[in-house]
Amino acid sequence: MDSPAGVVRATASPGGLAAGRIIGDGTVRASTRMGSVWRWRPTRAAGIAFLMGIVVTVALALSSLALYHRNESRLLGLRVRELGLVLTATVPSIQTPLASAAELADATNGSAQKFRVFMAPYVGPGRPFASVSLWPLGSRRHAPVAVVGAKPVLASLPAQAHKFFEHAAHIRTLNVTGILNPAHPSLGYEFSTPGVERGFAAYAENPLPKNRRSKLESNSAFSDLDYALYLGRSRRTADVLVTSLKRLPIKGRQASDVVPFGNSAFTVAVTPRGSLGGSFFQSLPWIIAGFGVLLALAAALLTDRLARRRQHAEQLAGVLDRVATANREMYTEQRSIAQTLQHALLPDALPNFEGLKVSALYVPATSGIDVGGDWYDVVEADGNKVLLLIGDVSGHGLRAATTMASLRHAALAYAAQESSPATVLARLSDFVNRGEHDYFATVLCALIDVNAHRLTVASAGHIAPLLLAGDDANFVEFDVNVPIGVARKSQYLEATVSVPSNATLVAFTDGLVERRGESLDVGLARLRDAAVGQHVALDDLLAKLAADLASEEHHDDTAMVGVQWQD
Amino acid sequence: MAGLEEDGGAEVVIDTLFDPSGAAVMSVSGDLDISNAASLQAAVAAVTAQSPERLIFDLSDLRFMDSAGIAVLIGAAGEVSAVQLRGPSPVVRRVIELTGLTGVLPIES
Repeated sequence: MDSPAGVVRATASPGGLAAGRIIGDGTVRASTRMGSVWRWRPTRAAGIAFLMGIVVTVALALSSLALYHRNESRLLGLRVRELGLVLTATVPSIQTPLASAAELADATNGSAQKFRVFMAPYVGPGRPFASVSLWPLGSRRHAPVAVVGAKPVLASLPAQAHKFFEHAAHIRTLNVTGILNPAHPSLGYEFSTPGVERGFAAYAENPLPKNRRSKLESNSAFSDLDYALYLGRSRRTADVLVTSLKRLPIKGRQASDVVPFGNSAFTVAVTPRGSLGGSFFQSLPWIIAGFGVLLALAAALLTDRLARRRQHAEQLAGVLDRVATANREMYTEQRSIAQTLQHALLPDALPNFEGLKVSALYVPATSGIDVGGDWYDVVEADGNKVLLLIGDVSGHGLRAATTMASLRHAALAYAAQESSPATVLARLSDFVNRGEHDYFATVLCALIDVNAHRLTVASAGHIAPLLLAGDDANFVEFDVNVPIGVARKSQYLEATVSVPSNATLVAFTDGLVERRGESLDVGLARLRDAAVGQHVALDDLLAKLAADLASEEHHDDTAMVGVQWQD
Repeated sequence: MAGLEEDGGAEVVIDTLFDPSGAAVMSVSGDLDISNAASLQAAVAAVTAQSPERLIFDLSDLRFMDSAGIAVLIGAAGEVSAVQLRGPSPVVRRVIELTGLTGVLPIES
């Protein structure tokens, strides 16, 4: 069912299928990429570095911000006091003409003419007042007797005028009133001469802007401020005389000052239009924050990179450690296998003979996984004689061990037929040289006549054995010929030496005396020195020599075989 | 030809050149022992593959040689009809004497 439908679709719109495949492919790739991004996690150290950077940044930015705000508030406080001083400075310019005019009126019994003449310079555009009028006090109905400039608004408000002048009659300072009606908002000043009954009051008036809004001129010293001027000591919106703000009360940073003004006071409140200390200090916290975040990011990235390198190095070290451990285990195992094999190829136990004690010792190398091809044998020969064989196949490892096994058995076979050491070696040499081979072996063959105290030795490239007798220790001297496996041009030669009573013969492979960087003679001398004067059992002697010479670093296996006359 | 440092610390440096008479001269310097004999074996194999008439081992800068080194020289002696040693130190000479190889590895006169 599905299959024909699929075929139909495929034939009908191959383009659609192709597009679907592309989308499918794209989706897979996109999700893979997302996966890899998702896998990326900053290291803990990087996170800590970033957090620390952010904390320091935030602290710096906040303290910078706090400093900025403190500075701004302090500056604003200074500005509002300046503004207050400017306002205070205007008091005399208002009070002095009015006080003089009031006194003039008292002196002239309210001469309108004199009042007009005196006040005329103070009234008009660009002068202190818009309107000045002279009001007699003490009458029931208050009305001005002389007016200079515009008609006072107060004159059209009898109730308010009555109240104002009734009150003002008892106050001997500059008297201020705000006529805050919506039609003609004005500010009025009054001064009446002190101590005079039924005197006169000089009254001046200045209109306020209708909506009480007035901006400070842009060239003013205070153009960087928005302000609100209130009549009185409170900051009720109803008492506002003039402001540059659309809305009151002032929100945000603000400062206010109360300026005594006659019997009343002005309260001036200001708020900065921008930054008083300059835009740089305003943006400094943000600059610090921006740089701080960038620095924190950079520090985090750097830390991340360092941490990753360290992690990588640690991982690598871990891997190397595991590999080393595995290697060590493999090495131990391999070495153990090869040693097991070699021990299997060496004689289990050496026979003892009448009047002759026999012992052998095998010391594996301290390093290297390959075992050597060292071997030894001690077998009975004709006529109460003993044939001792010791050999060392060149090379190491399984190949050397198997070659050793083959040589050993061949040597045993020849030894069973022949008791002449030189002949045994010659036959062994012929046996090896007949076939293809890429090894050689040093072999020492010694025929021991136990009863006759005689020793016949032949060597195929093998180091001479050590003969110990009493306090003497000497290497047996003979002519050495080439190792087994090397084409020989001459016969193997035998040497026969007499052996004193209770003598000990120690044959060994070169691992015992060979040390890197020194002559073989040095190693041989060391062996002789270690052996001389040792009147101990044969087993103990071999153990002592192994401990003295093979205990230090040596790369080669060592075999030792000893015989001791029991006289 | 090759400077090789092997496990165990022994270092041997092998330089090979063919002199105009057709003889290969392999200069072996340093310490030659079981830990690095394989590198000499490889170098010798490369030389004997070219069937030189004579192979001279210049051992004048060889401080030490053990039986593993001897094995390589003996192997070379089996491959090339005339193998000679040049300037072996007493230490090296002694190894050859004790192994009975003075006839197989003659010292160049």
